[in-house]
Amino acid sequence: MKQVFGIPVVGALLLTACVTINVYFPAAEAKEAAREFVEKVIDEADKVEIKDSSKDGGGGMAMLQRRFDFDPLVLIGIGSAQAQSAPDISIKTPAIQAIQARMEARFNGTLRAGFDSGALGFTSDGMISVRDAGKLELKDRVAMNAAVADDNRDRKAVYREVAVANGHPEWESQIRDVFARQWVDSARSGWWYQSGGGWKQK
Amino acid sequence: MSRRIITASLGLLAALGAAQVQARGMQARIDRVVTPVATLQQVRVRVDWPAGGSTGDLQLWAGRVDAPDLGYRYRDLYWRCPLRRDGEDGWRCEGALRSGRSPPMQLAVRFDAATTHASLAQGKARIALDRNAASPDLTSFDLTRVPVQWAQVLLAKAWPEARFKSGELDARLTIDAPANRPLRISGLLAWRGIGVETADATIAGENLGGRFAIDYRTTPALSLLAVDGELRGGEFLAGNTYVALPATPVGLRLDALQHAGAAWELPRIEWRDGNALAAEGSARFGIDASLQALDIAVHSSDMSPLRQRYLSGWLGLFGMGDVDLHGAIDLRVQVRDGLLQVAEASLHGVDLRDPNERFVFDGLQGDVRYSAGAPVQSELRWHGGKLYGLDFDAARLPFASADGLLRFREDAIVPLLGGRMTFRDLTIRPPQGEAGADIRFALVLDDIDFGRVSEALGLPAFQGRLSGTIPNARYANERIDFDGGLSMQLFDGRVAFSSLALERPFGSAPSLSADIALDDLDLLPLTEVLGFGSITGRLDGRIEGLRLVDWTPVAFDARFITDARPGVKQRISQRAVQNISSVGDASFVTSLQGQLIGLFDDFGYRRIGIGCRLANEVCSMSGLHSANNAFTIVEGAGIPRLGVVGFNRQVDWPTLVERLMAVGSGEVKPVFE
Repeated sequence: MKQVFGIPVVGALLLTACVTINVYFPAAEAKEAAREFVEKVIDEADKVEIKDSSKDGGGGMAMLQRRFDFDPLVLIGIGSAQAQSAPDISIKTPAIQAIQARMEARFNGTLRAGFDSGALGFTSDGMISVRDAGKLELKDRVAMNAAVADDNRDRKAVYREVAVANGHPEWESQIRDVFARQWVDSARSGWWYQSGGGWKQK
Repeated sequence: MSRRIITASLGLLAALGAAQVQARGMQARIDRVVTPVATLQQVRVRVDWPAGGSTGDLQLWAGRVDAPDLGYRYRDLYWRCPLRRDGEDGWRCEGALRSGRSPPMQLAVRFDAATTHASLAQGKARIALDRNAASPDLTSFDLTRVPVQWAQVLLAKAWPEARFKSGELDARLTIDAPANRPLRISGLLAWRGIGVETADATIAGENLGGRFAIDYRTTPALSLLAVDGELRGGEFLAGNTYVALPATPVGLRLDALQHAGAAWELPRIEWRDGNALAAEGSARFGIDASLQALDIAVHSSDMSPLRQRYLSGWLGLFGMGDVDLHGAIDLRVQVRDGLLQVAEASLHGVDLRDPNERFVFDGLQGDVRYSAGAPVQSELRWHGGKLYGLDFDAARLPFASADGLLRFREDAIVPLLGGRMTFRDLTIRPPQGEAGADIRFALVLDDIDFGRVSEALGLPAFQGRLSGTIPNARYANERIDFDGGLSMQLFDGRVAFSSLALERPFGSAPSLSADIALDDLDLLPLTEVLGFGSITGRLDGRIEGLRLVDWTPVAFDARFITDARPGVKQRISQRAVQNISSVGDASFVTSLQGQLIGLFDDFGYRRIGIGCRLANEVCSMSGLHSANNAFTIVEGAGIPRLGVVGFNRQVDWPTLVERLMAVGSGEVKPVFE
């Protein structure tokens, strides 16, 4: 019985500890989450693989993981929930995944051609923009403009929802920054991105 | 090829003509021939005339031809033609003109004392020039199927940013250049298959066709241009405005004028695209080409082609590229000093339908008037419509507008699902500059049939009436916040919604957040509706921080607990117990249930309590009280005393939903004392 009473105390202590940890924006976890998201959208359709976040999370999983680690009883019966144990920044909610799937389809259907031709570029605030419409046939331009607008709406929603889903709506702008860098990091060579007010080619 | 060069060549020929044609051969070398338009250098002319022959052989070389004002520059021009007499005092000569490695062109020149005629042709393209000594100020041009690239340099004078890629021109123009009167260019101009693009790609056109009468007069103080004709097919994009011209001709008439040092004004604009769009108005631009003033009246008696022809560029930007428009509309817009002053729309039986079913408005009728100044009133009505699957009936919106705000001058009542929704004190501030639209209103919901809401939204058949007041709702930055709350009588109890907010209502993944409080719900009808077995008693609960993204829950902190009341029986049926208790390892449980639970139809209980805190797709379960990883969901009462204890606090949410859908629940098993 002693042990039984002891656990909640430990749990409470751990919870307090976690709150302290989470005052800081988990930049490494956010980057990892952004990388996973971005790579899936940008990856060629035939290369898409489902990545298990628990594999490459490594030391990145702070709060939940740590809580599980310290509470063996939780580990015993976790079953399916354990697979879902997320790092601090999760992009696993169905809404975000639905947006991701939509962005991936749009990327493969329309946007990739725009990036390949140099018509599109990643902006420094995590959006995309038509940087040189001259690279597009007129007939494709209207569809591309609409796809860019759609994608930017989705991007805004993702940054917001990732922040909210992780319990910190105030992280939205930081998450957006992390994603903005990730889009550029994951960009294929030859694609354009905004840097210091101008456009650069990767 | 420039007509001026032809003229220059003509001049040479004329000089030659005065020379001794009887000679068998003549050669002249001229270092430099300067005409007002073109400079020819390293010119050599040679005429061979066989004795007694009727035809001579003219050859002309020019090392360089420069026409700096026109931007033309040629190297190594060579023209050879058979020179012959034309009438009494005329000459003519027609032959191939070569320049560098370009394909040869056919240059024909004919002149006598009174007239001059020259033509330059290549393939089917032909430029002809006529002058008559009787009217020395007039020059006639005739262009037939001339590639637009030939005119590139000239067109660049008028529109330096444009690059013409394809297409051909026909023209019959007269240039009247009298000494003391305005220069006048008038005649007919037609084009086919024009492809054009500006250097920054903001304006582009493809396959444009048209036929226009033009009249251009200019003096140093004032330029006037009148254009009247029709556009025939093609498409163009200017910024976000994309116009796909129909196959039928579109009438266009423009009058333009420019005072010296000032920007262009368009005192008359007319656009006639059959029933789809007729517009008439005027415009004035600033020196920086910004729109300073605009007065335009637009009429469409058949709106259905508008989206495809004129609106797709803009609608696409707002994610509404598929919206269907039907009906007729009159629109009047007035802009002064670059700001919208008046906008009036009169709708005649307009249907507006989003194929994605986000919204439908049927039978829109009446006016909406916006004024940045003096007050105006208007009224818009509709027959009915649908918002996210919820039907609403006919309503009228009484608008008033002044000083840049649009508002309701009285309550607007929209009948909705058996009850009504009243908009009060609505004000709309249209988007201005960087700031998006800002809409504020109060909302009163009155006796709305929640059963129909449930049905429309695909929820279980909850029955209740929804009422409430939202004293302040505000839409800005793609987000609607609702102060106050809504409440609803449901299962003889009360459900209250507060802290409501809707993000991106018509955008990507709409998100709804709310806090919900449940008070004294009668469990029996609730469990029956849910098909969960039956539980009698009363239920209280709270769902805090609920967030639905795309109408799917992604986060909440929910807790439900029964509320014992004197005189209310608290029983739980065997099926409900089984549903609550069914666990993954069903065989063990089933046998247990078979042995013990099977003996009883229902059980008494003291309390039932369950909680779920959803975050990151994991539901952290809780019960009435918990110890270690176990939590008690049902505390029994009487005999047999039944207790249900859950053993898994962390449940995968999709799995839980799946099991709930299958009327089961996750990771709990019964414990019998």
